[in-house]
Parts: sequence; structure tokens; C-alpha cells
Amino acid sequence: MKLHEKELRAVYTDTLIELMTENSNVVCLEADLGKSSGTVPRVWEAFPDRFFDVGVAEANMIGISAGLANEGMVPFCATFTPFATRRAYDQITISIAYAENPVKIVGTAPGVTTAKNGATHMCFQDLAIMRAMPNMRVYCPADVYELRSVVRYMAASKKPEYMQLIREVKPAIFDESYEFDPHQARVLDQGSDITLVTTGLTTIFAREAVAMLNQENIHAEHIHYPSVKPFDVETLLESVKKTNAVVTAENQNVIGGLGGAVCEVLAEHHPVKVKRLGAQDRFGEVGDVPYLSETLGFSAKDIAGACRELIKAK
Amino acid sequence: MDMDRVESREQLDRLAKEFRYIITDIMCRAGGGHIGGSLSLVEIIITLYFRIMNIKPDNPRWEDRDRFVLSKGHAGPTLYTALAYKGYFKKDVLLTLNANGTELPSHVDQVITPGVDQTAGSLGQGLSCANGIALANKLQNRTNNVFCIVGDGESQEGQIWEAAMFAAQHKLDNLVVITDYNKMQIDAEVENIVSLEPLVDKWRAFGWEVFEMNGHDWDEIYETLNKAIAVKDKPSMIVAHTVKARGNECYENRIECHFINIPDEDERKRVIGGVCTDDEGQPFHFNWTEGKDE
Repeated sequence: MKLHEKELRAVYTDTLIELMTENSNVVCLEADLGKSSGTVPRVWEAFPDRFFDVGVAEANMIGISAGLANEGMVPFCATFTPFATRRAYDQITISIAYAENPVKIVGTAPGVTTAKNGATHMCFQDLAIMRAMPNMRVYCPADVYELRSVVRYMAASKKPEYMQLIREVKPAIFDESYEFDPHQARVLDQGSDITLVTTGLTTIFAREAVAMLNQENIHAEHIHYPSVKPFDVETLLESVKKTNAVVTAENQNVIGGLGGAVCEVLAEHHPVKVKRLGAQDRFGEVGDVPYLSETLGFSAKDIAGACRELIKAK
Repeated sequence: MDMDRVESREQLDRLAKEFRYIITDIMCRAGGGHIGGSLSLVEIIITLYFRIMNIKPDNPRWEDRDRFVLSKGHAGPTLYTALAYKGYFKKDVLLTLNANGTELPSHVDQVITPGVDQTAGSLGQGLSCANGIALANKLQNRTNNVFCIVGDGESQEGQIWEAAMFAAQHKLDNLVVITDYNKMQIDAEVENIVSLEPLVDKWRAFGWEVFEMNGHDWDEIYETLNKAIAVKDKPSMIVAHTVKARGNECYENRIECHFINIPDEDERKRVIGGVCTDDEGQPFHFNWTEGKDE
């Protein structure tokens, strides 16, 4: 089976097992959602001494991870995005970020991908709130190759880091040669009509949108940001100097996340028109991913539509 | 006085007196501070740092050292005084408590203060971190102990009890936790806010070996800590009965002692006066110049 035929969570688990085999300091923590992350039962069975399921106690998981990291261990702790970020926000802020304890936090089932769990589990603010935290880095890999590289990068880095983990099978964007660099955004398609900025799930949607636009002879420059923080300013500015308009799309609220990061950079360096796609300051609801992304306005069709409109308005 | 190990009752009493004077003095100079919960811990922290813990002040991150997590991080001034006496930094650094640019902030900080093992101050978090440290030390096959002090008001945080369950589940017998049970929190007596009672039974029910002690009695503290260290297959909780603001006559056992404001020189003199008598009622004064390291 090719890597991109696997679920992303399976690749997260594979990579973690490789890392734990290579490095006895790497430990895995879960808060009763290990089956969902993919680590139960495989990591538990492979490394029973370095797997800790803390139960339904996210604040405690964050604190334990902070203590482990303080002692030189490399803890990867995972749970659904709302519980991995907003539920334990002060614990992450003080015990991890402020204390400079390099814990690796993994938020699974980001945004609409939590689907039938509905609004209570559908976090649209994790990129914004984690990005607003000093010392914290924020990553959103879009395919398995990138995911594997990001996880490996995190295991080696001495920084507190947060990563969104989409669980399901997604199409390949990159290949075996991919190497993650948090300071480097990826230009997936070159174009001069408009700049299209995405991360994580919306990068997959945007691929489809770019193909639709190409048929109309509209050429979008599509930039994927695997790291929302640190944010690669140069790649954005270089593109915007050609296109003079930007559409952002994210599996998040439009306030404070990727679109927020883009607008902050442009307002200071090169003001141009921007359209931010994402949840328009509303909560989620139950539904499948196509329904939700259309309802919230960041499906491939919405992205293509926003590009057309903004080009007209230039 | 040899600061590696202090054993005699006379020397311990002298040390406690100096600590109380210094803690009060540096808070007064800083314009205020958490005097109540700092003074209630003087004997316990002295016993830990001068009789129990295996540490190397010239190598603060020595891997085999005993760790200390002050989960009630607002008692930082008592820990800082111990660290200064042990030689982690010069005594006159204590005078910078809460000053602009200081390395001694009101709540303990592992990044900026030499000798502080874990940042704390947002209540309820330190015990989880102590769990992680104890767990890591076991994974690393170390034989050290991890000591942690939680507040009684802090024990109203749910996270404390999440950590309590985890430590018992994982048999963290290298973890010794002390509750500074001074029976008071900011707004009122603990029992008049949300009672912790029966506190000993609660910890026992959570699977811990539980001890009680008078948190101001040198022999009891020393003996109880040693008993707790010897416990196998369980974490230990020592419920220490203490008196808030112990040893400062102006504030001892008074609700308003949690945090004091020192607006002017008159108030400073009054509050310093609260710790300025020795056992015979004679004036006591710590001389910063003589006490200062070279």
C-alpha cells in the first residue's frame, strides 16, 4: 500500500512508533481518544512503558506532558482539537509555553472533519488561540508525506508545538522527498491573477478550485502554509506583488487564524484586497464534510467563486 | 552556619527567624506580597532544603537531584530565601523581589530563577507537572524524589484531583506531596468557602499513603517526610497543619494576610515590627550587609 492510501492517523501512529523505536525519550499520551488518534492499540502495545492514557483529564495530560518535557522527554499528547487547545488553554499557556517546556500537542479531527460529533466538538478557533500564544508554534499538514515530516520535525525540535491532525485518507499533494520547514510556505501552483492561501484541509479543497479556475483560463497562485506560526512572510509578499489580491480559506473561524495572519502581514507590508473564507464567526453543526464546507462557505466551489469575484473587483 | 545540612534545633530556629524577617522585609520593600502562604511554609521548606533534599546548588539542573515543585507558586519568596541561603544566587538578589527586570517574580519561574525546577502560579497545575517529572524520573531509572507543595485553597481546583488519580494509578512512589493546610484562602476560611474535609480521607480514598503533621514542628516534619519517602508503590500525601502568616504578629492567622499591601513607611515599620522580636521578646534584626555574600 502506498503511503497516501493510508489514513493520516495511521501515518501519525507509524511515525510515532518509528520515533519511539529510534529515541527512548519519545513518549505518547492520550486522554481516552487514543483510538481516534490511531495510537490505541498500536502504540500502547508496542511501547506499554511509554504510552500513558490519562483518562478523560486533558488539563492533567497537559501538565504531565509539561513535567515530562521538563525532564528531557519528548511527549506527544493528542486529543480532539477543542480539548487539546481551548479546554486546557491556561495549562498550555503557563505549564508549557511560558515555562518553555517543549511539549508536542496534537489536535485531532480539526474543524468540520469532526463531522457527526457536531458543534460541541467542532473547534474553529484553535489556530487563532494557539497562534496568539507566545512561544507556541502552529502546524497544519495537508497530506501524509507532510504529516510524517512535521511529526519528525517536532520530535527533534526543542519548541512547544501544536499540530492539527486530519484523521482520514486524503489525496497526496507531496511525495516521499518532502521535507518540512516551518519557515517555508509551499507554492503549489504558480499564477498571476490572484493569490490563494490555504492550510490543512482547505489546501485539498483549493487544489480542486485551482483546477476549475484553470479551465476558465484564470491562474491562481496557490500557496499552502504547513506552518501558520511561524508564518512565511516573504513567500506571501512575493506573490501578492504579482497578483494584488488574496483569497484565504481555512477550516476555522475567519477571525484570527490563517486569514488573520495574512491580513496582519499585508496590512503592515503591502495592503491589497483580501477575501477570507471560513466559518463566518459562527459555531458548527452536525453534518458530513462536503455539507459543512459548503454550508460554511469554504468548499472548492466557494473558493473558486471568491477568486473570480475578487479578480473582478481588482 | 554550614548551609549544606542544618540539624540543631537552635540553628533551625535561628534560620526560621531569619527567613521570616527576610520574607517580610523583601515584601515590604516590594510594596506588598503573599505573606500568609509564604510564612506558613518556612519550617517545611527549610527542612526540605537543609535536611532532606539531595541537591547541588552549583549545578542546579544536576540530573540526579531531588526535584521540588511549588505548585502554590505564590509562596515563591520562601523558596527564593532557601535558594539564596543554599547558594543558588547571592542573598542580596532577594532584595529585587518583584522589581522591574528581576529574576525573582511573585510566582515561581523555572526559566529565569536558578534552582526553580518548575514554573507555577496558575493554581492546580504544579501537581500535574510533578506527576510528569516523577514519571520521567522513573522512566529514566533515577532514584531521586520529587517533592511538591499544594495549597489548601488550590486543592479546590479539579486538576489537583485529576493528578491525584493519575499518580496513584501509576504508583508514583517517588512523589511526596505536602498540603499547606493553613485553613485560609483569599476571601475567607476554606471551610466557609468550599470545605476540603475530610481531607485525609479524601487522599486516602484516592489511593495515596496519607500522613498528618504539625507543619511548624521540626521533628515532626523531618520524621514525617522520611516516612513518606520510604513508602513504596503509592504516592504520599502529607497534610501539614500550618498557621497562615505564622510568625508575623501583625498578620498571623488573620484572613487579610493572603496578600498585603505596604503603601508607606509607617506600614512598613509596623509589619516589619511583627517579626522583629526573638524568643525573649528582644528586638531582632537581620543585617543585610552582614548577611550579604561576598
